[in-house]
Amino acid sequence: MAADGTSSSSALSVAEQLEQLNAARKLVLENSTYYAQIVKGVLPIIGPQAPVELRRWGAEFLAESLATPVLSMGEKEGIAVTVLETLRHLIEAPNEDTIVLKACIAAAASAYPVVVRWIINNAWNKESWENMTAIKSRILRIWDGAPAPVKICCIKFAQRVVLAQTASNGMEQKHNGLDVSLNMIPEVHSCLDRRQLEAEAIGLLDRTLGILQDSSSDALLVDATLNCLSILARTRPNTTNRILNAVLNFNPLRLATSGPMTPKTKVLVRSLEKTTRMFLAHLLRREPNHPMAGRIQQYLEKLMRQRAELYDEANRKRPADHALAAAADAKRQKMDGAVPLTIPPLGPGPHSLAKIFTLTDNLGLQGFDVTQLPAELAAKIAVRTLENTDQRILDFAVNGVRDRLAALSTAVTAVLSGEPSAVLNAATAPLGVDEDDDDYEPDLTPAEDTEQILNKLDNAPPEEPVSHALDAGTTLATLGPFKLPPPPALDPDTAAQLSQAAASRVFAPLASLKDSVGSGAGGAAAVRRPKAGINRLAAASFDRDSWLTVITRLATRSTAALDDEDYENDGETRIKTEEGATTALGRPPGPSLGDAIREMLYNYVLEDWRRRIDVAVAWLCEEWYCDQLAKRRRRSSSSGGEVVLHYEKWALRIVDSLLSYVTAQDKVLTRFLAEIPELNRAMLSRLKGLCADPTTVQLALTSLLYLVMMRPPVKEMALDVVGEIWTEYEDARPLAAKYLVKWRPGFIESQTRALESGAPPANTMAVET
Amino acid sequence: MPAPSLLESFHSTQQNFDTPFETSRLLQHSEQVNTAPAIAIHNEDIASWLSVSPSPGGPPPHSSIILNETAYSARDPSTFHSTMASTDGSAGSSAAAPQIEQNSASGFKLKFCTVCASNQNRSMEGHLRLAQANYPVISFGTGSLVRLPGPTQSQPNVYKFNQTSYDSIYRELEAKDPRLYQANGLLNMLGRNRAIKWGPERWQDWQIGAPRVKQLDQKDQGAAGMEAGVPDIVITCEERCWDAVVDDLMHRGAPLNRPVHVINIDIRDNHRDASIGGSAIVDLADSLNKVAVEERERVGPAVFDAGGAASRASFDERVPEVVSEWQERWPDLPATWTLAWF
Repeated sequence: MAADGTSSSSALSVAEQLEQLNAARKLVLENSTYYAQIVKGVLPIIGPQAPVELRRWGAEFLAESLATPVLSMGEKEGIAVTVLETLRHLIEAPNEDTIVLKACIAAAASAYPVVVRWIINNAWNKESWENMTAIKSRILRIWDGAPAPVKICCIKFAQRVVLAQTASNGMEQKHNGLDVSLNMIPEVHSCLDRRQLEAEAIGLLDRTLGILQDSSSDALLVDATLNCLSILARTRPNTTNRILNAVLNFNPLRLATSGPMTPKTKVLVRSLEKTTRMFLAHLLRREPNHPMAGRIQQYLEKLMRQRAELYDEANRKRPADHALAAAADAKRQKMDGAVPLTIPPLGPGPHSLAKIFTLTDNLGLQGFDVTQLPAELAAKIAVRTLENTDQRILDFAVNGVRDRLAALSTAVTAVLSGEPSAVLNAATAPLGVDEDDDDYEPDLTPAEDTEQILNKLDNAPPEEPVSHALDAGTTLATLGPFKLPPPPALDPDTAAQLSQAAASRVFAPLASLKDSVGSGAGGAAAVRRPKAGINRLAAASFDRDSWLTVITRLATRSTAALDDEDYENDGETRIKTEEGATTALGRPPGPSLGDAIREMLYNYVLEDWRRRIDVAVAWLCEEWYCDQLAKRRRRSSSSGGEVVLHYEKWALRIVDSLLSYVTAQDKVLTRFLAEIPELNRAMLSRLKGLCADPTTVQLALTSLLYLVMMRPPVKEMALDVVGEIWTEYEDARPLAAKYLVKWRPGFIESQTRALESGAPPANTMAVET
Repeated sequence: MPAPSLLESFHSTQQNFDTPFETSRLLQHSEQVNTAPAIAIHNEDIASWLSVSPSPGGPPPHSSIILNETAYSARDPSTFHSTMASTDGSAGSSAAAPQIEQNSASGFKLKFCTVCASNQNRSMEGHLRLAQANYPVISFGTGSLVRLPGPTQSQPNVYKFNQTSYDSIYRELEAKDPRLYQANGLLNMLGRNRAIKWGPERWQDWQIGAPRVKQLDQKDQGAAGMEAGVPDIVITCEERCWDAVVDDLMHRGAPLNRPVHVINIDIRDNHRDASIGGSAIVDLADSLNKVAVEERERVGPAVFDAGGAASRASFDERVPEVVSEWQERWPDLPATWTLAWF
């Protein structure tokens, strides 16, 4: 059919031929099996000698045939190999039509991977590879000088070459030759040299990416480049970094900043910016864990910011830029017209200071409250205005104001024949600041000149009409120095209340702070504990643990610690001064800040004592430490003043409160007793109370046994308590007896004997140990 | 920034249903017409062809400011289509007569593709208008599903792309609540759509370059010239769709090596704006086609050392210029352009 048409082509007009060709095209679109046949049949009609209409049709048909998704790679191989020769002639023809060229290069781009795949398996077909190479080198040669539509097709062709000649990570879709890659090319091949091909690909990639640098404002080329890079970056790992570096160094907004914003530049800038953003966002979305994801993210954010600034600026600038320029001119002329400055004399009546300095007739301007402007802005405007103000006009204005003032002063003298100059000074020329400026700045610099104003106001007569007028007319002149009312006197009660409040604020962050790692039970805590202790840094991190350390130290050292820093160096003098200071202050009987915090710390621990036993231990350790320091201080100081000790008091309070809540399961009690730095008889005696309840007998005795076994210093004391338990609590006897038999042999016997003989209780003996 | 969806606009109109219907809508429209000059110009167009149109059902007496959307609410879909057919001819000739004559001289037509979220309202309006202007055109939606307003905002009618025909949706909605769907214009829209092509198609599922001969046999509007299934220009009706299209094209990896201009026009998703957008799309298509024809007519060697004269610049190069000129004419429809690859 189509072949018939070709044989009689010369007899038919171009239009008739096109009609036939279109019929043939319709046929293959309906049934793709005819492709090979019809492409072959069409080739003779569309060669370089054919009329341009036919060449265009032919080139586009070839591009379409090689691109169509309905043909498999195998089918396309056949077509590509047949077509190469014609394609080569068309592309190599000098002065070929742009549209023909464009379609031919698109066809070549589609053919390239097909031919590579064909040659891999059919190395004998050197002729085809030669044709393909010739086409390639021709395309790469005309690339630079070609018109834009051809150029973008060259870019796309180069992209396909790179795609086919770099190693793939297998992520691409497996159709239309996208999966042809360096991986497919064997190490040894008679036509294809892997290394050479890869080197060529990298070179081409660099050339393509060069567009982003060289023609960075040619939106067509840049868009065409950016829009074909995605598959390379995603599926050809060797290219990814080059591509990303090039894109991240590309500034899509350069065009916007380099010239005026015409409607066309706006379209171009928007296109460049959005396409770049789309490309990077596309990669980021598909590979959120890419090593360069951070940089991409940063770039995207920066781009958004710059764009926002740009459009902001553009929006602000637009009126000045084009259409409205005329209007702006008109405005400026109006201003110029107003230049002959006239200074109307002040009318009769009271005048505000502002009015004296107001030289404009413009009601809007007169009503404008300059104090609304932020200070820096006002300063900027003032400086700019002064810079651009004509000296003569300035002088004129200054003199005008002077005249007004003089007029006023004479008026005043007329009324009140006394101290005219003082009046004027007070009201009007206080700062020696340039008058023109004064409109803007009177409220900006009063601070530094308060003294001057005060002096001048003091010199002014107490009652004069002008100042009355000023009072009535403006706030400006009445602005005296403002003093904050002094705070109410602080009595000890309020001070105590306030320190209480301060203390409670110290606890506020605890609620929101995170638990430090492993602050509950478990390995992490065990690992960390050796590092903690008395020497740990309180605030190495801002978690709850650190904050609690800060609090406990605040409680225990707040007053003492300030002076204790230098204690080691020159203990004696420091202590003296410290204690002198304490007595001199005559500390009120109310709770000190430290005690307030202690109280709150105590409450804090008790709120959830099972979990906060660590806090209690840490706190008591601090207390104990401070007590030791205090004791040492007392020992070394000659005065031997009294030292308030805290440890015992608070340890007892905590033990007492714990015991009232403890149940049989609370092994933390054992731990608590084992960990606090010092135990005394009083504390241990409290444990006896537990034995009144049969359920907690075991806990009490186990805790004591633990102390007996693990804390030798309190061993005897603990055993005494066990003995007392044995004596006092019948129910606890069996268990107590068990421990006593082991740790204090003979005790039970002696006690039994004593009981039987009605001897005094064992306490006396125990106390002596 | 997401434009108010069809759903929202539907709800805004739905609230008016309790009040005297025609009047309230009219008031609303006339207000909008008064406040938006660009729209007003366009409305004159529509109004002129509406008043010319012979409509057996008889348009409401206040037709001079009633828009396309209201025209859809002609009682019976068939009258509606006859209305459309007769009116759009005149619209096309009045709006773009010179270009069309020129085009027919050379016979070259750019191939278009319109894209919106559900392939129902905006892209179909564009599809229809482009087809009526004799451009080869196809249309798609980029959403995951076809979503149409339902009785409340939380109960949209949802359909699958490529598997549901406009006709079946039409019949379903008609069975559900004819009054509601007639009143909010859905039935009229679907009635229009089912006369254009079989059903909504999803962009992401489209095999680019797959021949569309069947569609031609089905007499889909705009199918003539689209047999190869590859458009030259893609026009999206919303920034989100443009993003989806560009992203999808990058994802596909550009296997066809064929450049395509992807242009977004921000059109709000309601009948009225879709209609305005339709005219804007045709205007853009005409402008682009004019430039393309100029390039085609310049038969001769590729001018390697071509001078800088704008008229000698290629079609591809002139697209941004055409878009910017178009933008001046349609300042209320912000446009974005890029050159992507199929």
